[in-house]
Amino acid sequence: MISQIFGAIMLIYLLVAILFLMAELWSSSRLKGLARIMLWLGLGMHTGALLGRWWESYRLALGHSPGAAWADKLQLIIIQVPLSNFYESLIFFAWCLPALGLLAFRRYLQGYLGALVALLSTLLLAYASLGGVDSNIKPLMPALKSNWLLIHVMTAFLGYAAFALAFGTAILYLLQERRPRPSLPPLPLLDSLIYRTTVLGFLLLTLGIATGAVWAETAWGRYWSWDPKETWSLITWFIYAALLHARHLKGWHGRRIAWLAVLGFMAVLFTYFGVSFLLTGLHSYLT
Amino acid sequence: MPATPIHSKPKSWLWGTLTSIRLTVFLLLILAAVAVIGTVVPQNQPLNQYVRRFGEVWGELLWRGGFTRVYFSLWFLGPISLLAVNILACVVHGLPRAVKRALKPLTVEAALTLPERGRVTWPAGVDPQPLVSATLSRELGHCRQETFQDQEIYFLERGRCRPVGPYLIHVALLLILAGGLIGKFWGVDGRLAIDQGEAAGAFQVGPRVEKPLNFQVRLDKFQVSFYEPGGSPKEFRSDLTFIKDGREISRATCRVNAPVSFGGLTFYQSSYGSQATGPVRLRVQQGDLSQTVELPYRRPVDLAGGEGKVWLMQVDGNHQGYGPAVLIAFQAGSDHPMAFWIFQNRPGLAKSPYHPGLVKQPGVYSFTVESIPFGYFSVFQVKRDPGVGWVYAGFLLFLPGLYLAFFRPVERWALVLAQTPQGKWQGRLLGASPRRREEFAARQERLLMELQRGIPS
Ligand code: HEM
Repeated sequence: MISQIFGAIMLIYLLVAILFLMAELWSSSRLKGLARIMLWLGLGMHTGALLGRWWESYRLALGHSPGAAWADKLQLIIIQVPLSNFYESLIFFAWCLPALGLLAFRRYLQGYLGALVALLSTLLLAYASLGGVDSNIKPLMPALKSNWLLIHVMTAFLGYAAFALAFGTAILYLLQERRPRPSLPPLPLLDSLIYRTTVLGFLLLTLGIATGAVWAETAWGRYWSWDPKETWSLITWFIYAALLHARHLKGWHGRRIAWLAVLGFMAVLFTYFGVSFLLTGLHSYLT
Repeated sequence: MPATPIHSKPKSWLWGTLTSIRLTVFLLLILAAVAVIGTVVPQNQPLNQYVRRFGEVWGELLWRGGFTRVYFSLWFLGPISLLAVNILACVVHGLPRAVKRALKPLTVEAALTLPERGRVTWPAGVDPQPLVSATLSRELGHCRQETFQDQEIYFLERGRCRPVGPYLIHVALLLILAGGLIGKFWGVDGRLAIDQGEAAGAFQVGPRVEKPLNFQVRLDKFQVSFYEPGGSPKEFRSDLTFIKDGREISRATCRVNAPVSFGGLTFYQSSYGSQATGPVRLRVQQGDLSQTVELPYRRPVDLAGGEGKVWLMQVDGNHQGYGPAVLIAFQAGSDHPMAFWIFQNRPGLAKSPYHPGLVKQPGVYSFTVESIPFGYFSVFQVKRDPGVGWVYAGFLLFLPGLYLAFFRPVERWALVLAQTPQGKWQGRLLGASPRRREEFAARQERLLMELQRGIPS
């Protein structure tokens, strides 16, 4: 039932993308307003559907431990956050994009930039709904039963999403630089948005890696095991650290920073998908 | 923005190199490359695995070159040590200046050298000071005010501590690396397997290397539970008792994600198993003929009727949530042996097509279990790591470091009010924010607009 709602949300985001594009092409502020409203509507439904899935998986878990005391119920709510398999990570990722987009881009979330964000979310939801990803709610395996699950996975995916926004902005930057178009945001603005989202992503990824380490320490007694996913997240982190150094110490701007943001996002994609599908390790429960 | 030179004084080549960001990038690239190798080549496997996978020459080369334990090889430890030196040099080089900078408040003299951003002139007879002080405190926050050379100067500075931020980040990195080293040299890391009901007084720290405990741990009970039969595991749970000098000191339950500490060591539930503690008794039926066989562990037993022989391969106290079960291998004549599970409490499973695992019984016999004497054993990771505190301290230091570095942009403002010879007040807005031009420009525009309010144009 909730899976079907995600299908509907996917269509809303698709509509938002189209509306933003039309608003830009016809310079219509009415369409732009409509696109914004639809975006908020999609995000609201998305939030509701995520909470609904959270509730459902809590109810299922409660069925496995009947008669739980109050404190145990609270703990169950925390660990049943719907972030424990590949499907759930996809739909959360898709939620992070418009949410962070509104936070980081504010009023610039419109036109091509808005269409881009909405389209990325649409693609993620399409993959989750139509890509043959298992959408069943499964009971948690023992290693995942930890309060750290919530904060670790949330920060990590919010970080990925911020980097996705930086990537999208970087692509627009590179397009705009090659063949300037008045409908695209001006270069200095894109440059500063790349920077802003990268900083946000760097903060979140740092938190994600650190909370993951604390969790691994309580679960296995090793805060770092050189598991492929850990290693790749570290490589990703290094790339963005290099970007920030290049910008602040070497004064890099514009095109070179945009390319670094693209490179960094390739590393994010590999950390998220590549490691899960191509390599095995502690995190392979995702597949 | 012009590149900020981090070296201003001439200095030795060595120090110049050690504090250079170029070295950092170079080292990070090497580390990334080595790490990529580490994720592509499976780590810590025996030599023959590599030979099988990569062939004689490459397998041997990877093995000898240290690429099969790459994070503990010179390929990795070398660059990462150098990176630590690099970061340390940067901290030594830049931290004192950053601290000095953070301790020095903005002075009137310094404020007056800020670049000018706009002017406002009020009509004669209007005293703009109430408006100015209200506007500034609304838009910027609390400003200091001083009179200097007949001018009224309002000024403020934000993010004075920002320069310290990056150094907190770098010190945090050093703490984490130090924690790793401390753990490596002063930590203990081993494995402990205990049979249910038994007590252990030593644990394994390497292949055939034991380390004594100065107490004993007893595994009172091990339990594994499943969400539902045939479902996924719900919990692994070991009930432990710690014994010192023959006295029971404490009891604790060790679960995944809930380790137990005693005597300076921490025990983590890592894996488990069960083993036969005596021969398993099977009932074997062949038509109307029925016999009972006793199977010792891993020794072939011929079945009466001579149609084949069986071995006991494995016992499991709770196989996939269906209760006790045994894994049996059956061989008829010189056929290929076949393995299948028999569930003690669920004989019907053997006929049902809907269940996981291999349960199809081969040959002319049908098997049921009479008794499975078994005992669980539980395996723990045993550890003491004095470096963890350092690593966590590093994580905590990241937070103020990241906050200062990225969310406290330096911003300096000054509004200089002076009276013209005609008695009009004129205000000059000065300010700078090297990192946030966008926000700065927006704020500047709004400030000038607000200050001009009420001036008839
Ligand atoms: C993996 C290693 C490193 C990481 C993750 C790291 C991280 C950071 C971060 C997050 C910042 C703040 C960036 C900003 O202000 O935009 C920073 C700034 C800086 N880093 Fe690093 N850093 C590393 C290694 C180094 C090394 C080895 C050096 C010395 C060559 C260095 C020199 C600096 C300097 C001089 C700044 C800028 C200070 C300022 O803005 O006033 N970093 N670093």
